[in-house]
Amino acid sequence: MIRDITLGQYYPEYSIIHKLDPRLKLVVTLLYIASLFLIEDFYGYIIVAASIGGVLAASRVPLRFVVRGLKPIMLIIIFTFALNIFMTRGEVIWEYGWLHVTWEGLRMAFFMALRLILLIIGSSLLTLTTKPMKLTDGIESLLAPAKRLGLPTHELAMMMTIALRFIPTLLEETDKIMKAQQARGADFETGSIFRRAKALVPILIPLFVGAFRIAQDLAMAMEARCYRGGEGRTKLNALRMKRRDLAAAFACAGYLAGIIAERVLV
Amino acid sequence: MTIKVSGLSHTYNAGLAYETKAVADVSFDVADGEFIGIIGHTGSGKSTLIQHLNGILKPDSGQIWIDGIDITGKGVKMHEIRKRVGMSFQYPEYQLFEETVYRDIAFGPRNLGLSDAEIDERVREAMDAVNLDFGEMAERSPFDLSGGQKRRAAIAGVIAMRPGVLILDEPTAGLDPKSHADVLSMIRSVHERMGAIVMLVSHNMEDIAAMSDRVFVMDMGRLVCSGTPAEVFADAEYLRGIGLGLPPSTEMARMLGLAAGAIRDMDDLIDAISRMRKGRDL
Ligand SMILES: Nc1ncnc2c1ncn2[C@@H]1O[C@H](COP(=O)(O)OP(=O)(O)OP(=O)(O)O)[C@@H](O)[C@H]1O
Ligand SMILES: [Mg+2]
Repeated sequence: MIRDITLGQYYPEYSIIHKLDPRLKLVVTLLYIASLFLIEDFYGYIIVAASIGGVLAASRVPLRFVVRGLKPIMLIIIFTFALNIFMTRGEVIWEYGWLHVTWEGLRMAFFMALRLILLIIGSSLLTLTTKPMKLTDGIESLLAPAKRLGLPTHELAMMMTIALRFIPTLLEETDKIMKAQQARGADFETGSIFRRAKALVPILIPLFVGAFRIAQDLAMAMEARCYRGGEGRTKLNALRMKRRDLAAAFACAGYLAGIIAERVLV
Repeated sequence: MTIKVSGLSHTYNAGLAYETKAVADVSFDVADGEFIGIIGHTGSGKSTLIQHLNGILKPDSGQIWIDGIDITGKGVKMHEIRKRVGMSFQYPEYQLFEETVYRDIAFGPRNLGLSDAEIDERVREAMDAVNLDFGEMAERSPFDLSGGQKRRAAIAGVIAMRPGVLILDEPTAGLDPKSHADVLSMIRSVHERMGAIVMLVSHNMEDIAAMSDRVFVMDMGRLVCSGTPAEVFADAEYLRGIGLGLPPSTEMARMLGLAAGAIRDMDDLIDAISRMRKGRDL
């Protein structure tokens, strides 16, 4: 169902991955995403898959949970897969009318799909193992140099956290509204595309009204507790690198070295 | 119209670290025209249980028969079930979406594929049932109503489907005393006029005691006891143990040493006290 979307959700556990410094996790996630675009062949993917598998195991987030999060984007994956298969030029192995499948296309499609899946798993692991509050702290701290240039880093980070924080809330709200309209005989599953689009109106309107209500309540609650932006604000839990963060940084360096070595040598 | 439920269980997020067994092995029967009150502390599984009765949630195990039709079976038309079982969720006003109150209430009947004339009749009837003045309210935007009016408009949207079973999840939560009383008397009159089975979830013991033929008590996903209000509210210690209490009037009757079981609301209590006083005066 709609609640299966795990992007932006936090999975409570007490693993070593959960405890790592959010700044480190952010940087590592960015490096990981970059590394996905470095690899080109089969062995590269093995290194990536094995590494992310290791991190996943260490995080103790159940594989099933992560896979469930992939379901909603399956359509995009299948779409890119099909596009790559049919649109890549090269040695033709099968033809039908203007459709043709090439070796290069197959290879490309397979790798692209894999890349997308690894990308989603990697980036959802960041939010799954990091509380939104810590994530903001991390982003804010990493953006600190930009503050000198007049960028409102605290406000940006706060906006990001709130957006992340409210993904599950809005999904929950959607779920409730869908149930209520279904109970009144609304049907979202059958009929033409046009009919189905129209059937969304009874969900979207209450959802928007609800979102504004939630936003207003939140603004009020923040104001009532004297929130006034980042100026002069101190932290209860200041971020500090620990030994385990150093170890993780070394592991990540090892991973990158592996990827680059594979690229150069193989 | 009858309901039969047997061995119903539902677990949220099965297999994950935070799985919750929300309903566990619940069985019950409801006879035609009965008024059932459902009580239980917060998180005891009341909302989860009732959402099975019109097929919005699917059970992990167990069966549900509405009017003899097994709605958990394969190939049942959900349409047919939703026509028979009307449900108003917690905070139903958040489902309002149309431009006018009239059109919002007509949403359900329209989904049933009724004719315009029939829809019009049902909207008028439903607005009358919830005590919303047709001439004044029908063309207003539902978003401009007060909280209590929104609640009533939303419930009217369910009543307009003329369900044989009407399920209400905390319909009076957060209402002022007047709206509270209005909603209750509306439920009572719908029950009497349409002869529907009503299942009312509420945290207000007084309402439950005064209105129900039978009371179901939920605790940690289980249906731990059921019976007439007098039977259920007889065991105060047990109810307190599972985070519930007695209706204030029953509680007071107990303190005064009156036969507490027979006292369901303030009127009963007043009667009992005045009888007692007469006894003294003689
Ligand atoms: N959509 C959901 N996903 C996961 N868990 C849920 C969901 N809905 C309810 N639960 C959990 O199931 C249990 C029963 O919840 P339910 O809403 O049925 O209780 P309730 O008796 O209606 O409570 P209340 O009186 O507060 O409305 C609770 O522990 C709750 O946290
Ligand atoms: Mg509930």
